[in-house]
Amino acid sequence: MKKSKIKEILSSIWLPALALVGAILVSSLVLMIFGYDVGLSYQAMIRASFNNIRTVGNLVNNTTPLLFCGLAVAISYRSSVFNIGAEGQFIAGCIASCWIGIIGKGIPGPLLILMMIIAGAIAGALWAFVPGFLKAKYEINEVITTIMFNYIALQIIGFLTRTVMRDTAQADPQSFKIADQAWIPYLLPGTKMNSGIVIGIALAIILYIVLFRTPYGFNVRAVGYNKTASKYAGISVKSVTIKTMMIAGALAGIGGAIEVCGSSHYIFEKISNGFGYTGIAISVLANNNPIGVILSSFLFGFLKTGSSTMQRMINTSAQFTTVIQAIIILFIAISAASNASFKGRTKKSTKKGA
Amino acid sequence: MVYFLTSVVRMAVPLMIAALGLVVSERAGLMNIGVEGIMLFGCFFSFFVSYNTGSTWLGLLAGCAAGIISSFIFACASITFKASQIVVGCAMNMLGSGLTAVMFRKYFMENSVNGALANSFQAIPIPVLSKIPVIGDVFFNHNIIVYFCYFLIFAVWFVMNRTSIGVKIIACGEHPKAADSLGINVFVVRYLATLFSGFMMGLAGTYLAIAQSNTFQVDMTGGKGYIAMAVVVLGQWKALGVVFGSLIFGAANALQMAIQNSTVINIQYNLILAIPYVITVLAVIVSGRKRIFDASAKGTPYIKS
Repeated sequence: MKKSKIKEILSSIWLPALALVGAILVSSLVLMIFGYDVGLSYQAMIRASFNNIRTVGNLVNNTTPLLFCGLAVAISYRSSVFNIGAEGQFIAGCIASCWIGIIGKGIPGPLLILMMIIAGAIAGALWAFVPGFLKAKYEINEVITTIMFNYIALQIIGFLTRTVMRDTAQADPQSFKIADQAWIPYLLPGTKMNSGIVIGIALAIILYIVLFRTPYGFNVRAVGYNKTASKYAGISVKSVTIKTMMIAGALAGIGGAIEVCGSSHYIFEKISNGFGYTGIAISVLANNNPIGVILSSFLFGFLKTGSSTMQRMINTSAQFTTVIQAIIILFIAISAASNASFKGRTKKSTKKGA
Repeated sequence: MVYFLTSVVRMAVPLMIAALGLVVSERAGLMNIGVEGIMLFGCFFSFFVSYNTGSTWLGLLAGCAAGIISSFIFACASITFKASQIVVGCAMNMLGSGLTAVMFRKYFMENSVNGALANSFQAIPIPVLSKIPVIGDVFFNHNIIVYFCYFLIFAVWFVMNRTSIGVKIIACGEHPKAADSLGINVFVVRYLATLFSGFMMGLAGTYLAIAQSNTFQVDMTGGKGYIAMAVVVLGQWKALGVVFGSLIFGAANALQMAIQNSTVINIQYNLILAIPYVITVLAVIVSGRKRIFDASAKGTPYIKS
């Protein structure tokens, strides 16, 4: 019994590792086809994160929003809700928290930060509620609605930063800065190491406990495995779907609030930069496990940090990291599926043997 | 008014082509959310080839081929390797968006040919029909891809509703096991359906790049692939329904552009840009409640035992 568990853990490590190696090989091939220097590009990438303590700070800073979005995707995928909407939920969180941060000038710092985070969580949860409700009540495909909500959120933030929230002292459309006391202090002075990462890691651990050690988490996973069976077991699939979606939205929204408090201190149209979509990759790589999400969000933060340096040093498009991400997802998705079918096969053969 | 109706048709055609392709692949039981990325491949390669050879026809060929090849990746991963279709679809979107941006930078921005314009398909009025008042201008004064789209509407409708091929496709989507026991090769049918839909997505991308405009922009599809998926829901997974659905979205898009260009109505443009997406959500809510025609086995790989 124990042996099989060890085997399972091992396979959950070496399969993603194998997929990563495959993805790196294919990415190198793509770089070579376009005539870029492969060695130099990876060197640029590594240096962007690990050159000195300041660049490590950048790595942590870039990882923080990804961690929250990865968690948001992970919990919803656990209950088979394909939440593509972390992007929009993140933006909703940014808008709400920034608004509180701007109007809350007289409020003491810690209280204001707390209020901003709560506002972000509520906004994200509400933004996720509608697709969740529509799926639970009318079986409307959440993939389409969450994606549309992403686009709508993007237009709303564009609208707000160009009109009511716009700081006209700046050339580019962006909002006013939040009150000074609401800036989360950096972990290490002189770096942009965002202390929001601590909150993110704590939330990941809490989420792990909720998913694997509480009745609610059991329901979430049961619905994810088999909806019909859970229904017959007396689990309210509808309420689990809606609740899960709202928790996911709240997580992404908190991510948005942390981004505003800890990093940007104002909002602008492109504040999210595809964090929600990267969150999908992060969660898939981690097999939707919150603890794994911590590790894989660092990997994608590393890719993101490297992208601009790669653009500077070898003049490839910053979008190249999107390509690497896509290749990683493809490999992981294939390896996860073949792992499942491999397990199915071995089970069947033992049955025959007995 | 005639101008508005004409632009409705012009805006509806790319959605219609992509959605017709999706009708076939979704009824065969595949949930391909990678439409956006595959369309972008079609956009880039049709533009790239048309720009470099000067031939729009070679551009068309390249765009369709790009659609077929990239959908082959989807088919391989999700049918042969049985990976989650949603996850693979997401990866296809990222791949399409990222790879076309990288290539665009490599071939057009590095060589400082900013604002490169390719040859594009010009409108060909159909001799007699285009002379009919209103209808002539609205339907019969377009480029060749639009006329091809008219033919495709008929072709998809005919194949899905009047031939045994259509029955086989639907069987693979509804109950692959039963289809298999009747001697239908589920894998082959699903592969072909995916490749056909890839061809259509590539064609839709081609239309955007070298018929509706004459250039490529990073992420130029702007959600049209996702809207095409919504059109399929709105059209109840039927060829004719899809035509109707894409006309509604074409109208939403044309309206959005008309408001943007209008000097009378003055609304902040982000709000106008949000119109098609809001309409998509509303349309899916209205039509998504009766899901009788959606393939029952959609999104699940077929595992032959």
